[in-house]
Amino acid sequence: MTTETTAGLPVTRGACWYDVPAGARPGMRVPARVYADATLWEQISKDRSLDQLLNVATLPGVADRVYAMPDVHEGYGFPVGGVAAMDARTGVISPGGVGYDINCGVRLLATELEVERVGDRLEAVVHDLSRSIPSGTGRSGRLSLAADELDRVLAEGCRYLVQRGEATVDDLEVIEAHGSLARADADAVSDRAKTRGHDQLGTIGSGNHFVEVQAVDEVLDETAAGLYGLHRGQLVILVHTGSRGLGHQVCTDYVRLMDQVMPRYGITLPDRELACAPLRSPEGQRYFGAMCAAANFAFANRQIITHRVREVFRRAFRDQGDVRVVYDVAHNMAKLEEHGGRELCVHRKGATRAFGPHHAETPPRYRTAGQPVFIPGSMGTASWVLAGTDGNMELSFGSTCHGAGRAMSRHAAKRVKSGSDVRRELEARGIVVRCGSTGALAEEAPYAYKDVERVVGVVHDAGLARRVARLRPLGVVKG
Amino acid sequence: MAGTRSSTGRSGADAPRGAEHELLAHTAEVKLRVRAPDFPTLAGEAGRALAALELAGDVPPATGDAREIVLRAGDQGALLVDWLNELIYLAETERWVATEFAPEAGGALELRMRARGVTVDIAPSRVKAATHHGLDVRATADGVEAEVVFDV
Repeated sequence: MTTETTAGLPVTRGACWYDVPAGARPGMRVPARVYADATLWEQISKDRSLDQLLNVATLPGVADRVYAMPDVHEGYGFPVGGVAAMDARTGVISPGGVGYDINCGVRLLATELEVERVGDRLEAVVHDLSRSIPSGTGRSGRLSLAADELDRVLAEGCRYLVQRGEATVDDLEVIEAHGSLARADADAVSDRAKTRGHDQLGTIGSGNHFVEVQAVDEVLDETAAGLYGLHRGQLVILVHTGSRGLGHQVCTDYVRLMDQVMPRYGITLPDRELACAPLRSPEGQRYFGAMCAAANFAFANRQIITHRVREVFRRAFRDQGDVRVVYDVAHNMAKLEEHGGRELCVHRKGATRAFGPHHAETPPRYRTAGQPVFIPGSMGTASWVLAGTDGNMELSFGSTCHGAGRAMSRHAAKRVKSGSDVRRELEARGIVVRCGSTGALAEEAPYAYKDVERVVGVVHDAGLARRVARLRPLGVVKG
Repeated sequence: MAGTRSSTGRSGADAPRGAEHELLAHTAEVKLRVRAPDFPTLAGEAGRALAALELAGDVPPATGDAREIVLRAGDQGALLVDWLNELIYLAETERWVATEFAPEAGGALELRMRARGVTVDIAPSRVKAATHHGLDVRATADGVEAEVVFDV
């Protein structure tokens, strides 16, 4: 290990990480660790990621160490790619530590189709997906819920959709928390949030959200891939979206509330977006219930999209159009978990839970491999299937990265190439593109992101998760 | 910090004298800096910047009657964030994007604004929320200046 100085801070460099001691800045209660190699560290040092991570280390009740994943980038309050665990008895919960898109996450769907069999039908399938799954910002889905139905989605998540015929019991087995967080409190979700969300189930939203048709391009761990039901040449679908306007409003409501009540609890912070309250306070409990409800909404959103995908594939391939859920995992969430005999509230903002083979929450069918983790690459580049490790619990509270991570602002990305150019380049590589906004294509172009291969390499080498399979994009549906 | 000075989305109406905004560099989100002679005018200018973001720079002239929006908060920073989040909420739920703003007299920590806007076919909720991150409303020699980060 070597010690150096970055931005005036003492930094100790390890094999796959960079450590900042707790005393590096006044107010820090615990040290910070950034998982990165030298190239990623240089990129990370260019924005405010590290500054924001050190701010998180000042939160009351923060346990052991705060972490940044190798895809970390500047966010608001917490950095995107940040992990912090708070003591459940004495610590706080921070809506900004979860983010506005509560339970933004990724779901992988597997078909029984070989890519080479799909052939020239791919474009029609992608087109049908784009027609069946509304993608644009704020664009309502085809599923508009009455007030009592929305409350059931908030309270029960995907379990309610089984009753409606839009999910199966088998689906629930392979969704984080079975797609239904028991602590959800629909009454803690404001009417404004419900108004924003009542007709948004089954929609992708904007930004980096997508439905992507992919091929399993390479398998690196045959045993794990076999357990996940994946093999080379198989056609799969990756879904990336969250709780839409409902979740955004829940975060807005509770950041505002906690900003107001912090003086009552004697909490002062270096950044108002870290606004928080003790987890055990009335405000903390109410936010936790609302956040779980919004998370249930997000699980249900990805489930309704799954239902639409199934309809599309049955129309296109009839009895060979079966679509199976491989797994569904969140990357914006605060969860109550046991670590080292303590109950902690683990905040993962732009970070994925990645439990190992022996964890009770890893689905029984995946116990010998570990919990599946999906890492979307930037648009047009590879995505990855990883497996959680047992050792990860000691390394990052059982967490790993969530994507490639932005390296360039949206405005800067649009200056490099136009959306039309990006579309042409993708199509020239045989990737079918359906996108409501050409400008959005430029903002999400591959050069705006870090190298996902490098990010996944650090994750693998550090032991945060294991490489299982690489996925190659064939068709993209974006907002 | 490098940024992009914007002409305030003036398609709908000219910006008030002395009011301007610019977009500053941010890796993932949109960071806005606004300057104006006073806080109510600054709030209107921030609303114009938000409309330009929501409508991808293509801001048509406002139509229809004005609506009055009244908000109160504990400090000017919170008031600015509440104001922008109110506009985001109206855009997403009513497909109504406020584009023109006329401040009215209000209390010290009260914002009283008459706004006109446009109704659009698809609710433009590209902007998820205005955040409290790095929130800073400060007096300057020329009036008041603020920075706010939008989650997009």
